[in-house]
Amino acid sequence: MTPESEPIQSGPEAPEAPAGAYIYDLKAAPNRQVELPKTVPLPGLQAYLADQKAALEADEAKWQKQLADYEAKLQALPEGKEAPKPPVRAAAKKDDYDMKTPVPSAPQDADLLRLVELLGERMEEAFEQAGELTCQVAKEHLLEALRICREDKQLKYEMLADEAATHYPAAEGFAFSVVYHLTSLSRHKRLRLRILIPEGFEPESACAVYRNADWLEREIFDMDGIRFAHHPDMVRILCPDDWEAHPLRKEYPVVGWGQRDIDFREDRSGRLARIAQEKAGNLGINLKVPKAE
Amino acid sequence: MTPIAMTLTQTLVIALIQCVIVAGFVLTLVPLTTFAERKVLGYLQQRLGATRVAGGLIGVTGGLNRGMWAMGKLPFVSILRGLPFFVADALKLFLKEDTVPARADRVVFLIAPAISAAASLLVFSVVCFYPGTLFTFPAWVPVIGNCPLTGTIADINVGLIFMTGIASVGIYGIVLGGWASNSKYPLLGGLRSAAQMVSYEVPLALSLLTPVIISGSLNFREMTRTLAGLPTLDASGQVLSQMPVLELIPLFIGFFLYLTCGFAETNRMPFDMPEAENELVAGFHTEYSGMRFSFFYLAEYANMIVVATLASAFFLGSHYLLPFGLQHYIPESIPVLGRPNLLFFLGKIISLLFVFIWVRGTLPRYRYDQVMAVAWKYLLPLAILNLFLAATIRYCL
Amino acid sequence: MFDATDFMEINMGPQHPSTHGVLRLKLKLSGETVMACRPVIGYLHRGVEKICENKTFFQTQVWTDRMDYCSAVANNLGWAESVEKLFGITVPRRAQYIRTMLAEYNRLASHLIWLATHALDIGAMTVFLYAFREREQILDLFESFCGARLTTTAFRIGGLREDFPPGFEKQARAFLDRFPSCIEEYEILLTENRIWKKRTIGVAKLNAEDAIALGVTGPVLRAAGVPFDIRKAFPYAAYAEMDFEVPTRLEADTYARYQVRLEEMKQSARIIRQCLDGLPEGPTMAKLPKILRSEVNEIYHATESPKGELGYYLVGEKGSLNPYRFHVRAPGFANLQALPHMVEGGLVADIIAAIGTLDVVLGEIDR
Repeated sequence: MTPESEPIQSGPEAPEAPAGAYIYDLKAAPNRQVELPKTVPLPGLQAYLADQKAALEADEAKWQKQLADYEAKLQALPEGKEAPKPPVRAAAKKDDYDMKTPVPSAPQDADLLRLVELLGERMEEAFEQAGELTCQVAKEHLLEALRICREDKQLKYEMLADEAATHYPAAEGFAFSVVYHLTSLSRHKRLRLRILIPEGFEPESACAVYRNADWLEREIFDMDGIRFAHHPDMVRILCPDDWEAHPLRKEYPVVGWGQRDIDFREDRSGRLARIAQEKAGNLGINLKVPKAE
Repeated sequence: MTPIAMTLTQTLVIALIQCVIVAGFVLTLVPLTTFAERKVLGYLQQRLGATRVAGGLIGVTGGLNRGMWAMGKLPFVSILRGLPFFVADALKLFLKEDTVPARADRVVFLIAPAISAAASLLVFSVVCFYPGTLFTFPAWVPVIGNCPLTGTIADINVGLIFMTGIASVGIYGIVLGGWASNSKYPLLGGLRSAAQMVSYEVPLALSLLTPVIISGSLNFREMTRTLAGLPTLDASGQVLSQMPVLELIPLFIGFFLYLTCGFAETNRMPFDMPEAENELVAGFHTEYSGMRFSFFYLAEYANMIVVATLASAFFLGSHYLLPFGLQHYIPESIPVLGRPNLLFFLGKIISLLFVFIWVRGTLPRYRYDQVMAVAWKYLLPLAILNLFLAATIRYCL
Repeated sequence: MFDATDFMEINMGPQHPSTHGVLRLKLKLSGETVMACRPVIGYLHRGVEKICENKTFFQTQVWTDRMDYCSAVANNLGWAESVEKLFGITVPRRAQYIRTMLAEYNRLASHLIWLATHALDIGAMTVFLYAFREREQILDLFESFCGARLTTTAFRIGGLREDFPPGFEKQARAFLDRFPSCIEEYEILLTENRIWKKRTIGVAKLNAEDAIALGVTGPVLRAAGVPFDIRKAFPYAAYAEMDFEVPTRLEADTYARYQVRLEEMKQSARIIRQCLDGLPEGPTMAKLPKILRSEVNEIYHATESPKGELGYYLVGEKGSLNPYRFHVRAPGFANLQALPHMVEGGLVADIIAAIGTLDVVLGEIDR
């Protein structure tokens, strides 16, 4: 028979029991911790060429190092031992997969060249990849670029097919890229315009040029938090109107911050709240599951 | 038929028995019509309709379901699978929770379905099911010995006017139901329904005036005799008047006219905007449930039976065999075909109910403004023309 | 001019028999006329784009089935083609033909649902059941091919998992032989029906200029007179080798869209027959490494789903198994944006016809 267990100590050693209704610290929950991406996967011609050059140089440096090591080994070779095999330059791996990764290349398409010519300095980069034309525009001159694409007789991109935003937390100088996909129905061509914007910048709304940017930009605002200037109706579209935070940002965990995790389960008898209180009260600290020792 | 002098008590008791029989007939036919609707719509849509009751194979309903399964293997009887459905349907409506919306106008909310149902049932009090006596009670029956049981509850001289009047009272039920629910969808449904029914009353009445002009009387019994084509006889059996054969045309047109107006009056396809499930949830009876809803349901089907009855009575020759005034081609001496028979009447009513259901399965529904346009721009002029035609033929021939 | 009592504000949905999912419409009515209509969406938002950022490229296919659940195979085709474009994979010809065939069956299935629900909303309840009878047979075909009727996950990156099972071709041809008489049945019931014509001619008009400005694609755009079909404009899968027509009408109302979709069904049957007749021999799967790691790349690939232009925007990260960004351009999203434009000034009953004619499926709109 066990001796009478002592009641829970209250005193300096025992942790503070919460006074009122317990408030979960959801953001500290272990399954809500995210790892932010460390790279900036923004395709671009300059970046690609720089990467290629760096890779070539690294390869060359590695080969030189191999040669130097071999030389060093030859030098430090004790008498009587055979010379180790000389290093062979590793050839590029050949595989017969049906896969050829598309790489960016300089613009050759007439449309892209014309656009580059018309935009001049307002354009930052233009390239072709995977058969698609991309043009990166300076963020202040977006509307002009869109207007040119729509109204120029040789370009005639009548429809805005899609507008999407991507969050690049690891990037310097910008935080989001907003991409506009334009379709020319009459000429059967597609074009992509891209702008890079820092946190807090409000790009001009494309509603002035393409009316369907209305809901597309509302969705971008809802998911990424980018406000668009001169938009007719900038409210959330997919999430409820009183939602906090923007889900598609990289720091938002997939399971969410728990805003609606408990609400929708109607706790009429109060039993769930009592269970939570018991758990929290007994532990006395925020709801971290104690690790098994 | 020599009328026997009956005391008040006897008259009342006979009338009571007739009411019970007629009410019983209608209240049996209504659930059977709902059953028929399920099955006929089902077979139209290449499916079986309702074949089971309450699911499961245990207990009373389970026994019935097993019976239905066996029945499904028999060639013709299998279309009647699911017959207990009509009892189950009524039972379901009895047992449902009765809700009243919080801010509804309580008294009106409660009365509205009753008005609808009562009005549709009252119409049967002047319908002549059989001209003459069905049978006479034998002498040993306590109060009513030797009294005849006639085929009409109230053989009044203004039968038709009474019927159209009472049918119009039924509209009140719908309007009040929609209004008293204190909710937007029933309100919209009630308004639509009111406007539709009131608009269609006009061509309906006009199409019913055609038989009145042809027969020259408002008495149900005399009208049915004349419209069947039989000559009116005076006391000695001499022919007084006979409906001209050419009246076939206005009767034919009038039949389709009346039937169309009847579809609209009962809120059936293609005019069922007021209860269009896809648009207004359920229209004026959205907030009704349980027994009160079943009164509206009963009223709708009873109205269908009323329309079918009137159409068969005036245009299809009611208890005689041939429609559209062709009965005089069969001499009255032929035993079954030449004499009036209750079964002919019932058969015609049931076929018209089948036509109601058939049309529901086939046609889409009109939009609300198109419903109004059809009534005022197409049916009304047609009804007036039909009336003129009937009158011209009658007075010229 | 109008004071507050002149308008009735009514809410249609999100639970409503004919809003095809959880769509909420805030309506301002003046009697029966619609003064303003504002769709509120997001009731079916499941966060597919966020979830797919944490799944490998292969695993993201499963979520594409569930976006537009009426035409899962079309979503799968768009996804497969997009991922293959991202990686630069070439798919063998036999696989392309089979994919085209299944996508066209899916177009038939989706248009049959459209016909059934649209007719049911307008009141013709028999067409609903007739169309579902045909759809059952198509779903049986899908089930024999990939095991699932609705959420098919039919394709793999680089081709198909396996060739079709024995008996599939016979079943497919039997369906094709029966199908023209079924379309005739629907046409007999609806096309010359006076009530149907009154309910659909002149209702919910959307002319070409507005359609292009609002980004509307698919049968809605083609009924407005713009002959734009991605299968012809930017051919993908085996469509470049198929011989078919793109039906176009000029009236831009509900009846025109009805005719365009019926005609598309007939053309789909034609394409399927060509696929079955001209099926090449060969492998059904490309040679690929076991694990696919992406490079830095972004693509946008659009296919013609039964509802319009379905686009996938994928951004790849170097050496990663998961997409960095997975965005879907849903055709219903743009089509629904056009709803207020089509409906304001009309009657309440026309809203139902308009929603039906846009072929709205909330799964892809909300993702």
